[in-house]
Amino acid sequence: MPQYPAGTVRALLSTDLVTPATRAALEARLVSTTGYEPQFFDPATYALLEAVAARIFPQPERDEPIALAPGIDKRLAAGLADGWRYDAMPPDREAFRLGLGGINQAAQAQFQQLFIDLSEAEQDAVLKQVAAGTALGDNWNTVPQNRFFEDLLAELTENYYAHPLVQEEIGYVGMADVPGWQRIGLNEREDREPKPVSK
Amino acid sequence: MPDEEVLEEGVLNPVKPEIQDPLLQAILAENEAAPATAPTELEQPAPLPELTEIVDCVVIGTGAGGAPLLARLAMAGLKVVALEAGPRRDPTRDYATDEKAQNFLFWNDERLSAGQNPVAFGKNNSGTGVGGSTLHYTAYTPRAHADDLTLHRDFGQGVDWPFGIEELEPYYEELEHFLGISGPTPYPWNPGRRKGYPLAPLPLNGAAQLMQRACAQLGIQTSPAANAALSARYYQEGIGWREACTNRGFCQAGCNRGAKASMDVTFLPLAESYGAEIRADAFVTEIERDAAGRVTGVVYEQHGQTVRQLCRHLFLCAGAVETPRLLMLNELALSSGHVGKNFMAHPGMQVWGTFPEDIRPYKGIPGGLISEDTHRPKNADFAGGYLLQSIGVMPVTFATQMVRQRKLWGQALRDYMRNYNHVAGINILGDCLPHKANFLELSEEKDARGLPKPRLHFTAQENEQRMNRHAEQLMRQIWEAAGATDIWAFERYAHVIGTARMGLSGDDAVVNSDGRAFDVPNLYICDNSVFPSALSVNPALTIMALSLRTADKFLASLR
Repeated sequence: MPQYPAGTVRALLSTDLVTPATRAALEARLVSTTGYEPQFFDPATYALLEAVAARIFPQPERDEPIALAPGIDKRLAAGLADGWRYDAMPPDREAFRLGLGGINQAAQAQFQQLFIDLSEAEQDAVLKQVAAGTALGDNWNTVPQNRFFEDLLAELTENYYAHPLVQEEIGYVGMADVPGWQRIGLNEREDREPKPVSK
Repeated sequence: MPDEEVLEEGVLNPVKPEIQDPLLQAILAENEAAPATAPTELEQPAPLPELTEIVDCVVIGTGAGGAPLLARLAMAGLKVVALEAGPRRDPTRDYATDEKAQNFLFWNDERLSAGQNPVAFGKNNSGTGVGGSTLHYTAYTPRAHADDLTLHRDFGQGVDWPFGIEELEPYYEELEHFLGISGPTPYPWNPGRRKGYPLAPLPLNGAAQLMQRACAQLGIQTSPAANAALSARYYQEGIGWREACTNRGFCQAGCNRGAKASMDVTFLPLAESYGAEIRADAFVTEIERDAAGRVTGVVYEQHGQTVRQLCRHLFLCAGAVETPRLLMLNELALSSGHVGKNFMAHPGMQVWGTFPEDIRPYKGIPGGLISEDTHRPKNADFAGGYLLQSIGVMPVTFATQMVRQRKLWGQALRDYMRNYNHVAGINILGDCLPHKANFLELSEEKDARGLPKPRLHFTAQENEQRMNRHAEQLMRQIWEAAGATDIWAFERYAHVIGTARMGLSGDDAVVNSDGRAFDVPNLYICDNSVFPSALSVNPALTIMALSLRTADKFLASLR
């Protein structure tokens, strides 16, 4: 799988290949969220969400992993929706409260511990059950666990791949579009599009 | 409006519900402790500003259904006002080339998706802002075929349109030339057209070239697709020269160059140049009538104010969710029992694969190549047919769709996404039959305005399932021939159609063949809700054609 050099998107952001509106959107995400105080979740639930996000997007190579929990906390605090939800799911805030609680119930049922106290392998085992819809816990009587996992996964994924460092990771530089793209066919690349450093 | 007690009782998802959360509880308590003056004043119902002017026409919605007729009516010299629920933005300055930052283009009020194949809204199937969902449509503009309108005649299923393709053709021609459609001439699957496309096709990107190569091997005819993005500069009445597409590939998150023919750079400036007034951020809640049942005006919320606008005629063009929702909320035009019924969504199955070639799927219009060889497949075990399109894709859209389908997470997810520059897709757009299990209703749950959220039930029936199987097999075959590995399919449904359908009789349709409500003589409906059948092509061009036709029928009725 291709590996792209670090720094590509950040270098482009300081050029006029990127519009001011685009630069503003991406640079805002580069600001560190260290010390973020949750506005919606209580501290324990927020820590649980962080632990789940760390297994869905493990980032062992980063000194400061990209934080994915603040985006969800901010959205729920603001009461924002994305236009739809599965009718089988309760409203978003309720779904998160019950779903995260359900993850702890599943951890207790299998390992008699809270999710955040489990090893990474044990945490993965719990998440695998939730994804498959086979986890134990009363909360899953109210929240369909496969749908909860799907929605959580999709939101974390949206927040992760919207991050400039992650776009560097996958070799995406579509934001540098001020001159447009002329070389758009197969195996055609413009100078500002990064070459993989290895396969 | 419901009285306050009823409103409170019905609120299942109020704006500040999580009082069990200790932190939020503390914050709320703190906020409430500070200012304690306002509430008594708010209890007083604000008097409606007395707008005594009666305009000829009010148009609700400025998308593909509302904008063309707004221009037509203004050009005929009528006094017209358009009410758009969303804001007016300047694409050049306000649009970012960033998917997440562009979420403001979508109708983000929550809709409830039910049934065995719940339909996604928000990023797909919705829009808001001056220009409606054309602000983020992919600008595919194939014409419907003559036999798209006669499914019942040909297969004994669904219903026929109340008129033939000859009623739409003059409008297709007019639109292609007004909007500046780029496309192939002659059109391979309809070579006898009177007029060709005004502009040459747009260039093919990597995904389109892969599909072209594989289809040639398999004997499937392909062509560069018709698209409403300009392949060359084009003169636009009411706005001047529009610049050519630069292959940004960002059509589905907003064009910042005016190259894509969204309504905000085409029909809306034309309408304004003829005196039409467009009021943005105007959310209509009530449609008022006199004792005889004629519409007398509408009430809308704008910037915290409640405003009444009187009118002689109303054009409801709010899309196939908000249009029936407004009719139901106002108990209007319901006598047929078909408002909200016949909800159809196009089978839009996608097949993705990973290729050794460098594709960089963010470049070029997403749907560069088309085939309509599957319009009426010879070996089909289903009614109707579908078309095939190549697809490029932006990374966030691709990743979120992919995880919903494949449920990859952890290292496997990160590894898969590292191949983003090597993925390409094909998708179909297929016809859908109406079915009693598929409909829109108002739920008990209220939104932040206190209005019931819409709930949409959708379950793919036998015909859609057979079409999906046929299409998945074919697309996998094409992608294998193209050299793809790790091929996977994503079953999805796109476009919201048919919730206030057009027909010959008020017994089984909401509007007549001119688009006028059977129940209300001065109410017209024009958007995808009036489609009697779903069509096997992308709907935007046909919505615009109906819009011009509806305006012409209305104007003829005044003479």
